[in-house]
Amino acid sequence: MYRYDEFDAAFVRERTAQFRDQVNRRLSGEINEDQFRPLRLMNGLYLQLHAYMFRIAIPYGTLRSKQLRKLAYLARTYDRGYGHFTTRTNIQFNWPKLRDIPDMMEHLNEVEMHAIQTSGNCIRNISTDQFAGAAADEIIDPRPVAEILRQWSSLHPEFSYLPRKFKIAMIGAPSDRAAIKFHDIGLKAVTNDAGEIGWEVWVGGGLGRTPMIAKLIRGYVAHTDLLAYCEAIVRVYNRYGRRDNKFKARIKILVHEAGIDKIREEVEAEFAQTKGGVLTLPQAELDRITTYFAAPDFERVNATQIDVLREKELDPAYGDWLERNLHSHRQPGYVSVTISLKPVGGAPGDATDEQMEAIANLAENYSFDELRVTHEQNLVLPHVRVSDLREVYDTLVENGLATGNAGLITDMIACPGLDFCSLANARSIPLAQEISRKFQDPQRQRDIGDLKIKISGCINACGHHHVGHIGILGVEKKGTELYQISVGGDGTEKAAIGDILGHGFVADDVPDAIERLVETYIARRESADEPFIAAYRRLGDAPFKEALYGAQ
Amino acid sequence: MEILTGNELMSGATVYLDRDGHWVEGLQQARVFLKEEAEARDAAIAATKKTMRINSLEIETVTLRDGVIHPDRIRERIRAEGPTAPRFDRQHLDKDGHVSI
Repeated sequence: MYRYDEFDAAFVRERTAQFRDQVNRRLSGEINEDQFRPLRLMNGLYLQLHAYMFRIAIPYGTLRSKQLRKLAYLARTYDRGYGHFTTRTNIQFNWPKLRDIPDMMEHLNEVEMHAIQTSGNCIRNISTDQFAGAAADEIIDPRPVAEILRQWSSLHPEFSYLPRKFKIAMIGAPSDRAAIKFHDIGLKAVTNDAGEIGWEVWVGGGLGRTPMIAKLIRGYVAHTDLLAYCEAIVRVYNRYGRRDNKFKARIKILVHEAGIDKIREEVEAEFAQTKGGVLTLPQAELDRITTYFAAPDFERVNATQIDVLREKELDPAYGDWLERNLHSHRQPGYVSVTISLKPVGGAPGDATDEQMEAIANLAENYSFDELRVTHEQNLVLPHVRVSDLREVYDTLVENGLATGNAGLITDMIACPGLDFCSLANARSIPLAQEISRKFQDPQRQRDIGDLKIKISGCINACGHHHVGHIGILGVEKKGTELYQISVGGDGTEKAAIGDILGHGFVADDVPDAIERLVETYIARRESADEPFIAAYRRLGDAPFKEALYGAQ
Repeated sequence: MEILTGNELMSGATVYLDRDGHWVEGLQQARVFLKEEAEARDAAIAATKKTMRINSLEIETVTLRDGVIHPDRIRERIRAEGPTAPRFDRQHLDKDGHVSI
């Protein structure tokens, strides 16, 4: 993992001291809230419905044990004993007091963390594949380039006041596990005709009130030129992006209104100016950063076949967990383990301080001190020896973390919704809880198979409902929470935006509505091997509409 | 009918302006402004702004039923009681979090 150098360390220390002074000036009345608000937002401090919310950056979703332990400490000492992992792979605390924030920041600095650029119209945390550096299908570990992009985008003087926030995601494998086509810039590792690895660049994707799938702007950009090319894109956006209307200010609207050809022309013209200049990434620097992400000292062991069926007979819960929560590793004898933060009846993405401590211990003892946060609000131990799986599982069981549901119907994304968020129109978490209770039978979940439900409490789509195989959007109508259901969204390389099926449902009726969709799928699938999303693509939305609203 | 609500500076806690000009935690202690009391309401808003201690100051419409205040918006009902899931107690004021106008 990347380690701070003296400049990084000095900078975050200075920023914390600066913010402590700003807090003191606010408390003394020297500055008012209008003056203070942009300062606190620059440091990830929001004011939500019930209290302040402090959002801490987890760059490209990578953590060390020491850092997770620190987050557990902050949860225990300054909050209410838990944290909420987000779809931007950050963590949020929902109950801190204003005067404690500078102390929390100091603690974060001790473990090379901060909360800068987790809010505001700037380039936000860069997200990537939770299996980066471990996945068997990976062309390249994207994290060194993600780190370089992080350094480039941190406090970029030209890009601190963009028309709107700006999100970058990258993937180093053909399977898109980072939803790159729903980001302002999406980067996918590809190989050119000469066999060199570089980046395919997508632009103008996004969710929110106007969901858009990104457009391909350039098929190949070499590592050397990537910063200059990204700078060109953001510069064009900064110049032409709309500032007259917040709802039309994202780059997706610019790309949509101007057209990808015009934007490409502008970006290429800008790139021609910047290419070969100060933003050229020297190979030596890329190599230097890459050393921070060197593969751990894996033991040389033979590839080990896991006999899931046998394990299921011996211990069904363990067998189910093995079947769902492991991901193939490039190193023989190792796997990546998904730790589900979606227990039945739980709040998606929440972990208690004790759970965080337990997971930190597991990472230290079984995963070379490494952890990942997924954009689907789970955690990952990236490098676990197959022979250690039982011990890891037993520890997860002891800590209420052994739910074997990765990718199943109960592995839902849900935003904080109206229970916490000042932007929300409807609650998300109670709905996720009710749906997970409805489908809590593990065998039933397995019979249904891969199915992603994503829930947002407002049109801003923090719960990624547009790309849920089943998406749920909460709205408020005449003082009542109503939920619109869409089907057919997909955040992977087969990117698709879900279709709204019809009028909304009150909360109590949503779990039954989901059940009718699921039963329709099961009745009409070609076989148990045809997942929900494939069946939807084959069948279209008519049978699902009928399931919800009757024959039209 | 309307009430005034906001979030106290130190704790971020949800608070309401009561009849005595104190910003308090309890929704049921909130002063209810009738339509013809707009001037008093606006004076209270101005006085509150001068304290610089109440953020996100808002006018909320409510209904009185049997002397009980019911906010019209779901959002306000959740703000008054705390999150419904997971169920947490609402944020409370610190000792030095009391604000009056």
